[in-house]
Amino acid sequence: MDLLVIALIFAGLYMAWNIGANDLANAMGTSVGTGALSIKQVIIIAAIFEFLGAVFFGKRVTSTIAKGIVPIDTISGINPQIVVLGMLAAILAASFWITLATFYNLPVSTSHSIVGSVLGFGLVVAFNGTIAYSDIHWNVLAKIVASWFISPVLGALLAYLLFYIIRSLFLHRATDLPHIEKKFISLQVLTACYIAFAHGSNDVANAVGPLTAGLKGLGMIESDIPIWVLVLGGVGMVIGLATWGYKVVETIGSKITELTPTRGFAAQFATATVVFFHSYSSLPISTTHTLVGSVIGVGLAGGLAAVDLSVIWKIISSWLATVPIAALTSALIFMGLEVIV
Amino acid sequence: MKDYIRSVFDVVAESPFLPLEAHAKKGVLAVEKLSEALEAYFEGDTKLLEERTAEIDTLEHEADIIKQKIRAGIPASVRLPVDKKDLLSFLKQQDSIADYAQTSAYWLTLRPAKNLPEGIEKGFLELMAASLTTVQMYDKVVDKLYKLLATSFSKEEIKETLTLIPEVEKLEHDVDVLETALLKKIFDNEALIGGAGACHLIGLVARIGSIADKSANSADRLRTMILKR
Repeated sequence: MDLLVIALIFAGLYMAWNIGANDLANAMGTSVGTGALSIKQVIIIAAIFEFLGAVFFGKRVTSTIAKGIVPIDTISGINPQIVVLGMLAAILAASFWITLATFYNLPVSTSHSIVGSVLGFGLVVAFNGTIAYSDIHWNVLAKIVASWFISPVLGALLAYLLFYIIRSLFLHRATDLPHIEKKFISLQVLTACYIAFAHGSNDVANAVGPLTAGLKGLGMIESDIPIWVLVLGGVGMVIGLATWGYKVVETIGSKITELTPTRGFAAQFATATVVFFHSYSSLPISTTHTLVGSVIGVGLAGGLAAVDLSVIWKIISSWLATVPIAALTSALIFMGLEVIV
Repeated sequence: MKDYIRSVFDVVAESPFLPLEAHAKKGVLAVEKLSEALEAYFEGDTKLLEERTAEIDTLEHEADIIKQKIRAGIPASVRLPVDKKDLLSFLKQQDSIADYAQTSAYWLTLRPAKNLPEGIEKGFLELMAASLTTVQMYDKVVDKLYKLLATSFSKEEIKETLTLIPEVEKLEHDVDVLETALLKKIFDNEALIGGAGACHLIGLVARIGSIADKSANSADRLRTMILKR
């Protein structure tokens, strides 16, 4: 049994590393692109606030991943081993899909992957007759899926509004444009902290949600999520950023020079607000997709010289692929583990 | 192995406005070279004329490449703050500035300057200078694009740009006046210049004049693009 917990911890750390290396890097990329912060500063800010967000505000979404979709308590009452194997299968499946997607630069979300793979495990358990299909919390799942649609749209709306205000209040009255952009650089330092905090609070769950469920299934933790689990996730994400994410930040930063501080501020603030709101509502969403929505919002408000909307279709298609693929892989790994262990 | 990077910033597409400015610069430079080519032509410096013609040719070709890049860079999925059709029709007009500089230079190489009566050379140099001034004024309008975008089309910047455009049109009108006067001078001296000579000079007047026409047209399209936004 202990071996399985260790496996869950390592798989969770690997997932956390991936999140830090790519998703967090995407969220922070705009700060470097606008020249608001240097790479070093971004890494330090992101490390501190991602960690704080994960540890102090990561509980709600983690709880959703751990027991909101599949009734872990019911299953562990019947056989705790099923929960641990299932959660290990789920995180392995999600990690596998994320790794593959990253190699092919598909805009796949870690949140979507983990929700899909947890669902896949739940469906197998229901298929085996351990629980009824109706025991799966379909209403929670429906809410989560709806939030995946809503969050990028909310990001777009909020960013549009913000940039519209910035445009009318500052840009259109500017006598000294560089001065205004400079002012927004300091504001961007704040939004960098904000977005890292929001990201940590939502995405830590993708790494430690299954671990939490596993520990709970084994009765190793009580109903409350222990701090050390969230710390583990936070540390994993920060390591991901420090060992690989800085390269991603650099690449992104050099590509998006179009995003000046006023534009970057609007996009980041909108994204962070939407993500934070969802963390508060215990809903796991994709920060990256929300950020795309926000950038499009700024673009549609006239803030960008050119916006390529084809990325929307890429997101929707990888989104549609993610849930079934993650669910199926998770189900297969779970059935395989059941045979072995 | 591919890069281990998952990013969504393809959403920020490359701006077509920076290459638009670079494209305008190629045209201006070509017209400046043409002005030097014309002087060389009247001085009978064939070597310099051919040198300048080759340079203009290169500039025109470079402008074409930028034009193609701009066109390829705005597929259906890309949204711009201006109408794409307006942008393309503006680009087309701007592109013909370099085209006319090129055909003017070619035209010069077809026939040497001979039997030119008093005043014709001066008339051409004046016409050329006026055309060049028009293009340079036009270039100032294009330079405004950057600020228009940076302020996300502030009213103040739009107003400033719109006051520059009539100046291009006024300069273009001056070119028209010079053109007519020069044509009249050519016909007045048709006996001395000869049929073939007159034909060559008239062609040259039209070509150099077209440079100013195209500058004014581009400025006009630019205005449409900004106003229709």
